[in-house]
Parts: sequence; C-alpha cells; structure tokens
Amino acid sequence: MTTTVVLPSVPALGGLFARGAGLSLQRRVRSGPTTLPDVEYVVRGVRADASHLTAYQHLLGESASDRLPAGFVHVLAFPVATALMVRSDFPLALVGLVHVANRVTQLRPVLLSDVLDVRASAADLRPHRSGTQVDLVTEVSVDGTLAWRGVSTYLARGVFLAGSVDETSDPFVPPTPTGRWKLAGDTGRRYAAVSGDRNPIHLTALTAKAFGFPRAIAHGMYTASRALADVGAARGDAFDWSVEFVKPVLLPGTVTVRIAHDGDAFAFAGWDARSGKPHLTGSVTPLS
Amino acid sequence: MARPTPTQAVTPSVRKAYVLGGNRIPFARAGGPYVRASNQDMLTAAIDGLVARYGLQGERIGEVAAGAVLKHSKDFNLTREAVLGSALSAETPAYDVQQACATGLETVVSLSNKIRLGQLESAIAGGVDSTSDAPIAVSNRLRRALLDLSRARSVGQKLAAVAKIRPKDLAPSAPNTGEPRTHLSMGEHQALTTAQWGITQEAQDEVALASHQKLAAAYDSGFFDDLVTPFRGLTRDANLRADSSLEKLAKLKPAFGLGLDTPATMTAGNSTPLSDGASTVLLGSQEWADAHDLVPLASLVDAEAGAVDFVHGDDGLLMAPAFAVPRLLARNGLTLADLDYIEIHEAFAATVLTTLAAWESEEFGRTRLGLEGAFGSVDRTKLNVHGSSLAAGHPFAATGGRIIATISKELHRRKAESGSDKPVRALVSVCAAGGLGLTAILEAA
Repeated sequence: MTTTVVLPSVPALGGLFARGAGLSLQRRVRSGPTTLPDVEYVVRGVRADASHLTAYQHLLGESASDRLPAGFVHVLAFPVATALMVRSDFPLALVGLVHVANRVTQLRPVLLSDVLDVRASAADLRPHRSGTQVDLVTEVSVDGTLAWRGVSTYLARGVFLAGSVDETSDPFVPPTPTGRWKLAGDTGRRYAAVSGDRNPIHLTALTAKAFGFPRAIAHGMYTASRALADVGAARGDAFDWSVEFVKPVLLPGTVTVRIAHDGDAFAFAGWDARSGKPHLTGSVTPLS
Repeated sequence: MARPTPTQAVTPSVRKAYVLGGNRIPFARAGGPYVRASNQDMLTAAIDGLVARYGLQGERIGEVAAGAVLKHSKDFNLTREAVLGSALSAETPAYDVQQACATGLETVVSLSNKIRLGQLESAIAGGVDSTSDAPIAVSNRLRRALLDLSRARSVGQKLAAVAKIRPKDLAPSAPNTGEPRTHLSMGEHQALTTAQWGITQEAQDEVALASHQKLAAAYDSGFFDDLVTPFRGLTRDANLRADSSLEKLAKLKPAFGLGLDTPATMTAGNSTPLSDGASTVLLGSQEWADAHDLVPLASLVDAEAGAVDFVHGDDGLLMAPAFAVPRLLARNGLTLADLDYIEIHEAFAATVLTTLAAWESEEFGRTRLGLEGAFGSVDRTKLNVHGSSLAAGHPFAATGGRIIATISKELHRRKAESGSDKPVRALVSVCAAGGLGLTAILEAA
C-alpha cells in the first residue's frame, strides 16, 4: 500500500540538495535499493507569490498575467518530488542525475489566487542505453480537481539495474530558424533566483567544472520554458508541453531556435548553429 | 441643463482628401552631417520648409501628426514641440504616431481619413528619425533599482535599492534592429525570406542599381526641386551613388544570412543604410486648397494594414504587404494592371523581390492568399519610378512621407500630361518591424 507523507510546506531545494549530496556519498560506499519506494509526498495549501511570479514571467518572456505559466507551476511544485528523491530508499543518487525529458499536461489555467495541492510520486524505473531512467510525477490540484500534471524524466548515467534497451533516435537536421536566444553568462544564476534550483552546475564556470562541465550550463527547464513563452497565447488554456533535453547549453551561449506551427500544434527545437547539434526538441499541443 | 441634441445625422458624408504638396530635408547617412541634429530639430526643419514653400506662416493647420521610430522618452510630444518651434501658428494641434517604419504612411492615412470625414480641413503628416542621435537607455535592472530608490523612504530602503545595482547593470542599452520576440535582426529575418524565395544577389543588385539611377535622374531633372529643402549643407540624399554599377555592387561582401546553409546574398549595397532625416506632407480638402490657392496633386483612395506571424515561422518578417495589397485591391475592384505606379519601400532589395515573387507564385496565391492562382505580376517599369529607399536612405518614420510626396507629384504630372479623364493610380506599400505592413492607393487629382 502506498504510504503518504504530508509535508507542512514545499521544502527548499537547497536543503534537499545538501541531503542528496550526503546520500550520494553513501552510495559510493554501499549500493542502494533497486526498486522505487511505494510512497507519495503531499503538500497542501501552496500559494504563489505575486512578485515571485512577475520575476519569473519577466525572465522567461511571458506576459505578467495572473495565470501561472506551466513552467512556474513546475517551479512551485517540483521541490515536493525532490523531497522524495532524497529519501534513503530512493534507488538513484540525486547528484549526477540528468534531467533528460519533461512532459507537462496543463488541464486548466492555474491562477495567482488559487490554492494548490501538490502530490509527487516516482514511477517507471527503467533501463536506458546509458544507464537507468525514472519518472517523477507531480500533480497539482485546485479544489480537488487536477489542473496540472508534470512528468520529469531523469537519467542516472552508468547505473545499470536490470533489463536491456533497444533505442534509436532520428538524427537531428537543423530546420529554418525563427529566432535566437542569446544567453548571458548569468542566465543560470538568474533562473536559479526564480526557480530555487541552485544546482552548482548552473551557477558559475568554477562550480560547473567540479561536476565535469567546461562552463556553467543553462537549466533545461529554463530553455523549455522560453520555448513555451515563445509559443505564446496560442497554446490556449489546456495543452501538452513536452521537451527532450539532448545536449546542455553552455553559458554564455547562443541557441538558434525554431518555434513554429506544426499542424494544430507547435514544434520547437533549439540547436547550436555552428555544429548543427540539438540542445532541445519538443512540442506544445493544445488540448481541445 | 438640457443636453445638446445633434443637428444632423451622425453618419458623416465622406469627401476627398488631397495631397497638396510635400517637403523633406535630404536624407543623411548615420554619423553624417545631421549627427548632432535631434529628431525635433529635423522635423521642425522639414515643417518650416513646407511652411515656406506653401506660404503657411502663422497658419493654424487643422492638425499635425508625425512620429519617430527611435524616440527619446523626453520626446513624448515630439510633433507638438516641433510645431511650437515652427513658423506655424502655435494654435496648431499635433499628435505623435508610432508604427515602426509604417509611421509616416500611417500619419498620411489617419489625417486623410479625418479630412474625408470633415473633422479637418487641413493637415500636415510627417515623420523623422535619427540613428545618429538615437536614445540610449539604462539597463532594466538599473532602471528598476533607481525607481525603487526614488520610492524609498527610509535610509534602509534606500541602501537596499542601491545594493541591488551590479556593475554590469551600468552598461547602457542602445537600440538595435533586433525583433524583440525572435532576437534576429531585420536583415537576418529578410535573409531567411530571401533564401526561402531563392532570390539571387545579382537580382538584388539590379534593384539597387535601378534605385540609384532613377533617384539620380530625378534630381538631375529637377523633380525634387520643390520637394526637398537643403539642410546642414546637404542638397541631395547622402546615400545616393549615381555612379554605382553592377560590378561595384557585386564586389560587396554579404552582410546578412551568413549563418544559413544557402548562399548569403544580401550586402550593404542592396540593403538600406542607417539614416537620418525628416519628411512632411501637406494634406487638405478641396475647399481649403482653393482658399489657399493650392493645386491638389492626388487623393488618398483607400488603405489597408496587414501583419504576419513571423514569430512562428508562417511568413517572413517583412511580407505583410504581400497579404495587405491583394485585400486592398480586391476591396477597390482593382488589379495590379489597373495601377500606373507601384511604390514598394526598399527596406532591402530582397524585400521588393520576395514580395513580387510571392505575388507571382501560383502556390502562394492559392494557399496563402486564398486566390485561384497567382495574384499577378508587376510591370517593372511602373516600380519605384524615381528610386526608393536603397538610394535615398531610410530614416524609418520619414520614408512614408518621402514616398507619398514623390508619387503624388508624379501622379499629378502624369494626369496633366495625359490630358484625359482616365484615372491615374499608384499603390504604395511599406513593410515594418513586428511583421507589419501598410499599403495605400492614391489617385491623381
């Protein structure tokens, strides 16, 4: 039977990262569990703060409306899932986990005045060609009705638990661009300020080098949320927003993008114009 | 107290609004002879030239509308300030307009409509831009900190506001031609459209050369003698290269579209330079023209604005006129063949060519314009007959007034020369940032 852990408030990511780092060290000494804990984390009565929302909207290029952008709901809710990931019985170490994909289903608008209930669980621990993947599922309800559901897929490289994989991906061919993101050196610090995600790989070149990156890298959710903002109001009240993070964006850096109509939906991609290698690909599909 | 009752039907009758003349200062290249001249200086000079040419000293004009694309925040009443500094009556009302590069044409359209409705008897439309004296703003973060500081009451609040300022926030932000939503420059956007339509550098250079040759010929023939007033030592547009050649143009290196996997074809020679300048157009009713002994040159028949979703890759940034013109002509029961002159603002030579290519494309006509086939071909001998922005330069908001004054004079000349009652018509098309376009039909008076 699923155990429900009710937290009094959304935990701060900083403390969770510290706890995750400690657990990661322990993992080096002894191997951890190989199955997901049958547990869900719940925080009730979450409220957004207007100035926090405005700072987020301005940074990402959203209009400062009273509707919470889907990426902002992720910012509010995802620390609850992170709390689950730093349990000692969670099978993958937080440090070194790579955010490889994210899928959000926005079922109805979430407003600044809404009181949110957040529920987080882990699902689908599965093998991947370069390690093990897991989905963190976060659900946000207003007055008992599901309004937003996020599935964040993480990869633990070099951790092989069970099974075999047979995956091939289509080679990326850069399309005609529609725009460009010029990302300044402080992009990671600025997104950290509105998201609370102060993972050192995003903050400075020095702290990123400690984790094997030549420079700081942009938050994946920053790039995905920029793409969602570029789609704009045409996404409607209810939509699917999915993204795959292929290659990190080094900061400072320039991402060439295409955000364009694709039938009734929008397809987006960001890539390095020089190498032609993709950083992210995804889509926004209005739900009718 | 009793409410006043309307004495006549609220639906006003529509009469004709005429272009009666125009005046501009020669257009300079950025950093040239107008480097220290402000927008207000240049607009005032252009208005005063118009006043002198048409004897309007001390005249109370119905309304003056003008604008600038690059505008200082202190210039919130740019046009009114220019009027106050001009020889017009200080009782002449004024307002500012801003619609990117369509600003100048929009002032002509909106003032003409007021005249048509009987709200105005006379008006002056205009536009000005200086890229030499462009506004420099402080960064958003410094601005917010300074605004917080101005609202702070206690020493603690003041210190907190100041503490938010980082050294890099002190760097000023200069305006650029980048689109706010895509962060691509206008040239890069046009390069995408140029590649999409497969326009060659040679074709673009031919458009550029024709623009220089026609503008030079117009100056040589004295056509601009009553349209341009010298300013700061300039008597002709500084960008004009009468001795240009296809060989010289072909040697220029591509400036835009370098990151595309198609050949880069757009050079400084077939793109407009950053420019400084101002233009004005005198508009009025038949009665006002008669009372002032002025000869109507042309009337503004109709106008149509358009916009494209360049943000999501549907169409090129500067392609809105390709959609607006077919709507405008259809509403007036006209085809391209019914037009005697076609003025397409040369933001880039490629802008003209991609617009013509779209109109000649069967597929574009069917799928994007909803027609049965191609919209039609433009007879090149009707196109930009006295040159356009590639030769004259393009001080953004001043371009509409330059085109309207030039083509109105030409329409009147042709009509008088023909001696027949057959209408002589011109199409004017101006593309603008933000995926905007503004188009209009004029008819010789």
